[in-house]
Amino acid sequence: MTRPRLRLVGGVCAGFAEHTGVPLSTVRLVTVLLSFCGGFGALLYAWLWVTIPSADNRAAADPLPKSSLARPSVRSSGASREATAPFYPSSPETDRAARPVDAEVIGSASGASAIPRADADPARAAPVTEILLGLALLAAGGALVASRLGADIPLAVVVPAIVVLAGTALAWRQFADIRSGASQQSSALLVRILGALVLVAVGILLFFVTGTNPNAWTVILAAASVLLGVVVVTAPWLLRLSSDLADERAARARDAERADIAAHLHDSVLQTLALIQQKAGPHSDVARLARAQERELREWLFTGTRGGGESATDLATALRLIAGEIEEDSAVRFEVVTVGAAVGVRSAASPEANPSGMDAPEALVAAAREAMLNAARHAGGAVSVYLETGARGIELSVTDRGPGFQLDQIPQDRLGVRESILGRMRRAGGNAAVRPGPGGTGTEIWLTVPAGRSVPSTLPAPTSTALLKNLATETQHSEKSTR
Amino acid sequence: MTTTDPKHPGERARATPAPAEAVAQLSVLIVDDHSIFRSGLRAELDSDVNVLGEAATVDAAIRQVIELQPRVVLLDVHLPGGRGGGGAEVIREAAVHAPHTLFLALSVSDAADDVVSVIRAGARGYITKSSSGAEVSDAARRVADGDAVFSPRLAGFVLDAFGAVAGETAETTEELDRLSARETEVMRLIARGYSYKEVASTLFIAPKTVETHVSSVLRKLQLSSRHELTAWALERKLL
Repeated sequence: MTRPRLRLVGGVCAGFAEHTGVPLSTVRLVTVLLSFCGGFGALLYAWLWVTIPSADNRAAADPLPKSSLARPSVRSSGASREATAPFYPSSPETDRAARPVDAEVIGSASGASAIPRADADPARAAPVTEILLGLALLAAGGALVASRLGADIPLAVVVPAIVVLAGTALAWRQFADIRSGASQQSSALLVRILGALVLVAVGILLFFVTGTNPNAWTVILAAASVLLGVVVVTAPWLLRLSSDLADERAARARDAERADIAAHLHDSVLQTLALIQQKAGPHSDVARLARAQERELREWLFTGTRGGGESATDLATALRLIAGEIEEDSAVRFEVVTVGAAVGVRSAASPEANPSGMDAPEALVAAAREAMLNAARHAGGAVSVYLETGARGIELSVTDRGPGFQLDQIPQDRLGVRESILGRMRRAGGNAAVRPGPGGTGTEIWLTVPAGRSVPSTLPAPTSTALLKNLATETQHSEKSTR
Repeated sequence: MTTTDPKHPGERARATPAPAEAVAQLSVLIVDDHSIFRSGLRAELDSDVNVLGEAATVDAAIRQVIELQPRVVLLDVHLPGGRGGGGAEVIREAAVHAPHTLFLALSVSDAADDVVSVIRAGARGYITKSSSGAEVSDAARRVADGDAVFSPRLAGFVLDAFGAVAGETAETTEELDRLSARETEVMRLIARGYSYKEVASTLFIAPKTVETHVSSVLRKLQLSSRHELTAWALERKLL
């Protein structure tokens, strides 16, 4: 049973109606009627309000479910005023009867009610809910007692009742603090909870001691009542504790199941995928599919154990992602090897610097992507991507075993290599070079960003004429530098 | 099965000369717990590779290695049975009883701690399971010839673990905890996907010299007490 988000007062009636299937209006009517029976309905409502968890806590699996007694936000301070409404207008005579008690309560129980106010941090919102709820409980308790004993209010009964209610409210509030993880000293909290419990016990005992002439049965009854009182006071906390425990157990079961699946996949599916790749040869579609599947599976397994996706803010991760993307579309197999400290990618969106003090400009990633695409398009097969980050800066090489190409043989109007790789790197303060691969076969594209160079991460995009001019000079530069 | 504690299994394996008959036909034992993979690999291997047998568990592998005395064991890193030590346990237990046998680690995972554990136990190389049959055959042949086989990823790991990128270089050849400048260069090229021959032509040295460098790196990897080796492996999940 939960209290829905959409609620008139506390959501108790709605939750009860939903849980039992009884029409909501009937439940509300019964509650109001019960409130006339000596305030029983109102007390029951308050009790359920405190003990039943809110629906959004369950649904969203909030790690720290705010208890209904938790201190109110700005929004709920209005709601709390409304929340206390049923205690007052429910019956005019209760209201009238309650008023003198109310005044008395504030006078006599000021010692008790001072405690919650004292520990309320001034920086936080005023604990309106707690104070009002406390007063409402006291008023209702007073009214209940008063209506039962007639108009005159015997202090011998009212005072213990007030003490009991104040203690109960106090205790609940403390438990709410514990649950909401309020940063308070646990010893102080414990003392206050114990104080509240003692208050409840004393209040119950007072009933019997000040009541009729004591005998053995009164004492036994008093003891039982004290125990019952303590149980009532601690029940919300115990309930929450057990529901938390169940939630945690479920989460752990999920984790264990996930680990089992991961182990199984690692043992069987990954092996099979490796075998398929081995059998099918690196250029076939089957191998490409198997590789893509393997990568996806690995990603899933590892992001699962690492506890969530670290996005491609890490240069090595970004390269692997690009490699995966390209592999999906063309017959190519990237071997990405990264060496050295992890380096972040400085993007225009997040200009804050990496704590390690070295960031790769976004242009490097874009240029690397272009180089890898080029290798996939013109060479295919196995392509090595090597990233080294060290004292010399960032070095990135893309090596393929294809037919190779000479920069000066590319027509002037082809912008792929010149603009996307060479020009881009130059503008980002780095360097790019194209040269024949190992043993004279294939192509090797070198991208370097020197260390300690303050690189402008974003440059205004050049207009088309400026770009052409830019390109002309850059081409000369880069062709010189590649020699 | 006798439990022995070889002090430096890697050193022993390195010192072993190749017997004359093994050069002609390479005898191989496949150790993997997946029968599909075993049969697949067996069918894919080159014709001059003679597969003596297969084993699926640590205990069976140790027994078979001692019994069959293969020249090269293609050893999966993850194996059930034994005391849970996987491939590394097979090497530790069987190597003393099979003095001419060399181990080549095959792994699907690339996890650094797995790879380092088998290499440090005495494996002469490491390749991934997605390598083709020809690549595995070639690697096995090179291991049988006394070379070390490094995949680009293992080379990258070595560069990282020895702090070579940060500019640490060994002054003398006796130093175990750092790579020499030449070894660093060789490792860097291997990490970039160069074959030994390509490394040799790029650095203008003989292919045999490259092999010497790689073997010396392997020895350092096996014997070095650099704490980064283990720390790094634990810190990162992937090579």
